[in-house]
Amino acid sequence: MGGVRFEHRYTYRKAVNIIMLSTTGLLTLLALIPLFWVTGYVIVKGGRYLDLDFFTRLPAPLGQPGGGVLHAIEGSILIVALATLFSAPAGVLIGYYAARHPNTPLGMGVRFATDVLSGVPSIVVGLFVYGVVVVRLHTFSVLAGGVALAIIMLPTVIRSTEEMVKLVPPSLREAALALGAPEWRTAISVVLPAALEGIVTGVILGVARAAGETAPLLFTTLGNDNFEVIRLAKLAIGVGASPWEIARLILTQPVDALPLTLWKYSQQPYPERVNQAWAIALVLMMLVLGLNLMARVWLAYRRRR
Amino acid sequence: MALLILLPSACTGAPEGRRIITLNGAGATFPLPIYTEWIHLYSQQNPSVIINYQGIGSGGGQKAILDGTVDFAGSDSPLNEEHYRRMPDLQMLPMVAGAIVLAYNLEGVDSLVLDGPTAARIFMAEITRWNDSAIARLNPDAHLPDAPITVVHRSDGSGTTEIFTSYLAAVYPEWEEKVGVGKAVEWPVDKAGSGIGGKGNPGVAHAIQITPNSIGYLELSQALENDIPFADLINAAGKRVRANAETMQAAMAAMAGAFDERFTARIVNAPGENSWPIMGYTYLILHMEPEDCAKAKALADFIRWAITDEAAARKAAEMGYATLPPEVGERVLEKLAEIRCR
Amino acid sequence: MGQQSNLKRFWRHGDALWEALLVALALAFLVLVLHIGWMLWQDSELSRRAFGWRFLIPTAISHWNPAKGLFQAWPSIYGTLVTSLVAIVLAVPISIGIAIFLAEICPPWLRLPLNYLVEMLAAVPSVVYGLWGIFVFLPAVAVSAGNFLAATLGKVPGLMALFHGPIPTSGLSRLGASFILTIMIIPTIAAVSRDVFLAIPREQREAALALGATHWEVIWDVLIPYGASGFLGAIILGLGRALGETMAVTMVIGNSVEGSYSLLRPGYTMASIIANEFAEAVKALHSSALMEIGLILFGITLLVNVMARILVWRVSSRVPGR
Repeated sequence: MGGVRFEHRYTYRKAVNIIMLSTTGLLTLLALIPLFWVTGYVIVKGGRYLDLDFFTRLPAPLGQPGGGVLHAIEGSILIVALATLFSAPAGVLIGYYAARHPNTPLGMGVRFATDVLSGVPSIVVGLFVYGVVVVRLHTFSVLAGGVALAIIMLPTVIRSTEEMVKLVPPSLREAALALGAPEWRTAISVVLPAALEGIVTGVILGVARAAGETAPLLFTTLGNDNFEVIRLAKLAIGVGASPWEIARLILTQPVDALPLTLWKYSQQPYPERVNQAWAIALVLMMLVLGLNLMARVWLAYRRRR
Repeated sequence: MALLILLPSACTGAPEGRRIITLNGAGATFPLPIYTEWIHLYSQQNPSVIINYQGIGSGGGQKAILDGTVDFAGSDSPLNEEHYRRMPDLQMLPMVAGAIVLAYNLEGVDSLVLDGPTAARIFMAEITRWNDSAIARLNPDAHLPDAPITVVHRSDGSGTTEIFTSYLAAVYPEWEEKVGVGKAVEWPVDKAGSGIGGKGNPGVAHAIQITPNSIGYLELSQALENDIPFADLINAAGKRVRANAETMQAAMAAMAGAFDERFTARIVNAPGENSWPIMGYTYLILHMEPEDCAKAKALADFIRWAITDEAAARKAAEMGYATLPPEVGERVLEKLAEIRCR
Repeated sequence: MGQQSNLKRFWRHGDALWEALLVALALAFLVLVLHIGWMLWQDSELSRRAFGWRFLIPTAISHWNPAKGLFQAWPSIYGTLVTSLVAIVLAVPISIGIAIFLAEICPPWLRLPLNYLVEMLAAVPSVVYGLWGIFVFLPAVAVSAGNFLAATLGKVPGLMALFHGPIPTSGLSRLGASFILTIMIIPTIAAVSRDVFLAIPREQREAALALGATHWEVIWDVLIPYGASGFLGAIILGLGRALGETMAVTMVIGNSVEGSYSLLRPGYTMASIIANEFAEAVKALHSSALMEIGLILFGITLLVNVMARILVWRVSSRVPGR
């Protein structure tokens, strides 16, 4: 009697087991459907409108066919490079400090601030940079965009550095100190290099994120259909500008960036622009996913050595 | 942040003489197509002047020039006295005029006629279905579906909205008190659940295109560019008019003397048998006492070219804009000559 | 001897400089973050003074009227809350399911590629989700879902307000935004939950199995309760991401303020109203009101993220050897 009930109960439990476990597999598949759908669509629709002109020309006047997104490509490269320049060295050092002095008020403050900043919506960062940079400089600019993206990258860089430095065995550091190296030398030549792969991964992931951000650029870079670095530089050299002045000229121009241009074009009723939006989506996805993949692969490769 | 100290404000410039001039402007989307064409043409003749104009809406342009972040702005709607108090040397210059049309998305309906009060009542959600008697009366031959009307309006601050709402106020007395005139208003259709907001003229065009049984207000050039059908209107003289160069010029000529001391004018519900009832000027806003002389000269030169050059005028007409009547063009040139840089 | 002590002095100064540099940067970072909060507080002052608490409180008719200078944040607060909550409700079962699969069931050879794929979901830029959303996903999925919900839940007396249709033919609606958000937060919740599962010591599983539990029972009755605060932390992290998401939501939510609370109608979120209106907020009161919304958003996401960190940290520190 009890034995039969036990049999039924057991069969029931086994059935539940199979059903639930397979459900998790199905759910995983379900979640991956949008990924394949987006990627597939972007590749098919975007790929159709990808041509040489797309990468090498400035936009045609509104409504005319042709033209490209060279302005956005150059803009993206500039602001992401600037953002990395601002955030990577500083972020690494700040992360190092937080790892070495975790229990000081400043160390805990840094960790808390990193958490706060990583949660701040990027549009709010854009608002901030508008008030602090754009209004002060009286212009939308590459610089403002770079600062905004740097602020967004900082928490990623700080956090990875902190985690990686914590993982470096203390014996390594102590050995260096025992050999007479000063603290700063130990940090730069021993600890940081040991944590390097994780840090670089963190930076690359930060760059991948920054490259895809639009919201912070809305109020900081405005957009510029006429922006082409080489032409600007040539014109500047033609009037005898120094390298410093050329850099200043370029940094203070409003600029487009791939995600920003994508967004603008997606809102327009001109089919050429919408098509170009898909093409930009393809380029952007390749860029961002490529960077992500690169980071992981590089990390795996380094770890294996 | 240290870099901010090293980079002085962009207002001080290199000494006059040879320099690259970069002019940045932002504002109305109404003239965006013609401005980008003009910039393209002008750049070919003046390669060392780099002009950039971004269509972020009239409100955006006004904010940008008031915040000092651009060299010039585009706006369909006039600045008010508060703005002039904040920045007294701003000047509005009419550049071109355009017609606003009621574009719609109705399968099987190739031609539609509306009048002022009917249009107003649609936008007030008083008329909610396409086969309403008011619309049917004006369109006895059309196959109007028994479907709810989706009304598309601007979701951003817009001079186009201001012109359109001023037209509605002029033809339907209740509009002013129930809704009002402005760059952004609270649309009764939103409260009724039948409204959609589109960003910029392009956004409205897009929304109309993808939403069946919709209607919205749009500048003529956008409607033409994208092949979106638009309605004829019954004008102030009671005549049915189609929006085209003739009817636009007729309206502008009828109101050529209507400018105020800030050089702005309302040209809605113009008198005259042949006048298109919903027209508006689009203006460029610039500084009369700019700090950067070289930039100011370059900007003035560009505007002069746009107003006087034949190719520029032809392009504008091709794209559905109305160029300035000669007297108005003269006045713009006079104003340009009055610019005194500090 | 003299030479050595000179060398020592240099090294010592080097250290002092190094420490000074680190401290300066750390302080500058703190100042930066504080400055953001402070700027939001300052620039929202005009609006806070003008409206006080009325800004936040739901009223029968909420106004957002730049022309008349009347601003209430409730419609956008509601939009943010409802889209994020719906996204969480939809994403949590899926994400936990994925986490279980990845951590407990997945064969080793499949593990790495699947992990990558789930992370790729998170790497897709927000604008691309938005683009795909408006042109592909919403018309295909949101419209049918919306019509279905209007026909079913929309008739149920208590839920009518929430599912009052019709959904716009473009699909631009709070529901559409919720769907896109779901897709975007799944990777966050799934990845952290997977890590929580992986952190739970083997002994827990082995003990349960020894007692005769099926694999599912181990997961459901032992592992999930054990890691509960970690999972909660993962969910809250996902919530934080949903609350702050801007571009994809702006592109698909329709951006018009109606009177209704319905999921099937267009709306606003706090982030989307800032994205839409700040560039044109000419009036000081208007931009101040938007700054106030930014402040509220800042506060909410701060709270949520800190809560999440605490919860996740609690699990990982409870678990030895992590």
